Amino acid sequence: MYDTIIIGAGIAGQTAALYASRKNMKFEILSTNVGGQFLESGEVLNYPGITQTTGAEFSSKMEEQMKFNKVKIIKANVTKIEKMGTNFKVIGAKKTYETRSVIITTGARPRKLGVEGEDRLSNKGLTYCAICDGPLFGGMDVAIVGGGDSALEAVDFMKNVAKKIYLVVRGKLTAHEYLQDNIKKIKNLEIIEGDSKEVLGDKFVSGFKVGTKDGDRDLKVSGVIVEIGRIPNTDAFTDFVKVDEHKHIEIDCTTKASIPGIFAAGDCASGHEYQYVIAAGQGCMAVLKASRYLARKQGE
Amino acid sequence: MAKVKVYSTPTCPWCAKVKEYLKEKKVDYEDLNVAEDDKARKVMIEKSGQMGVPVIEIGETIIVGFDKEAIDKALK
Repeated sequence: MYDTIIIGAGIAGQTAALYASRKNMKFEILSTNVGGQFLESGEVLNYPGITQTTGAEFSSKMEEQMKFNKVKIIKANVTKIEKMGTNFKVIGAKKTYETRSVIITTGARPRKLGVEGEDRLSNKGLTYCAICDGPLFGGMDVAIVGGGDSALEAVDFMKNVAKKIYLVVRGKLTAHEYLQDNIKKIKNLEIIEGDSKEVLGDKFVSGFKVGTKDGDRDLKVSGVIVEIGRIPNTDAFTDFVKVDEHKHIEIDCTTKASIPGIFAAGDCASGHEYQYVIAAGQGCMAVLKASRYLARKQGE
Repeated sequence: MAKVKVYSTPTCPWCAKVKEYLKEKKVDYEDLNVAEDDKARKVMIEKSGQMGVPVIEIGETIIVGFDKEAIDKALK
């Protein structure tokens, strides 16, 4: 029987594992991949104590830190959690783990546009990762969809790569002010207010249809970069633990979920502020609260 | 051993992970930067039928993305 099982190995999960290891807890950390979303982040300028880094650099540092603390991340896809008295069964595709508490840190994934042509042309000119695939659009025209931080970071990243950038925004820009200031200086950028309607193309992307107040516009682009937010990876838990209207796991300010012994941290939880530092803080809080919960449970 | 090629971009974190993994396994590979090398970009798109990186070519096998199991299998 484990003290805790951590599901997910992004910043929240790895921070929880780091603390669990240093507290000598009996635990495992399970994840379908290592690094989570932060691996795909570009430049990072707002992590306390680190002036400037990148998602990849930060991820390598955390990997080093996991090795130093003898944490081994197990590749596993958790499909379900079940109650077992006051304990839990964490069910993976290959193995089931019996545990006294669970920390869910499964993060989030890119939200899709939900328009015609999106799935068919995904990875064929349509991408959800600007820093991965953006450089392939060197000298071409691209559309970037979204008005938040990620979209504007993608614009900044692509300004010296693409020939022309169309930023397609539904409503107002919601990104941090400094990012909005940044893009004002970009000469090869045109901002279009409108709704995404269709990704055009046969084998590869050749255009993007946008509905504007003046009618539809077919943008002749070779690339479409989608940055319209993220949805939590909580599909395996929505029948088990209480989630909010956007399927984030509901937690209180101490990361406790609706079932005693279940904790959640980071982007899969109901904080709705997607920041490295919040994920790290909540990952730490979750394991400390799990540890207190276990101590109290043992005393009962 | 089959010839190994990695089609990558310099900013792609998963490309870095693939190269790290191959180095760990002491596998020699040719690194092709498709952000700059137009010819390699065309070859990659033609062979993989898509535009995402990384693409790993191991002999006749084409692998899209960082898939350790698929890499291990193709290297056998």
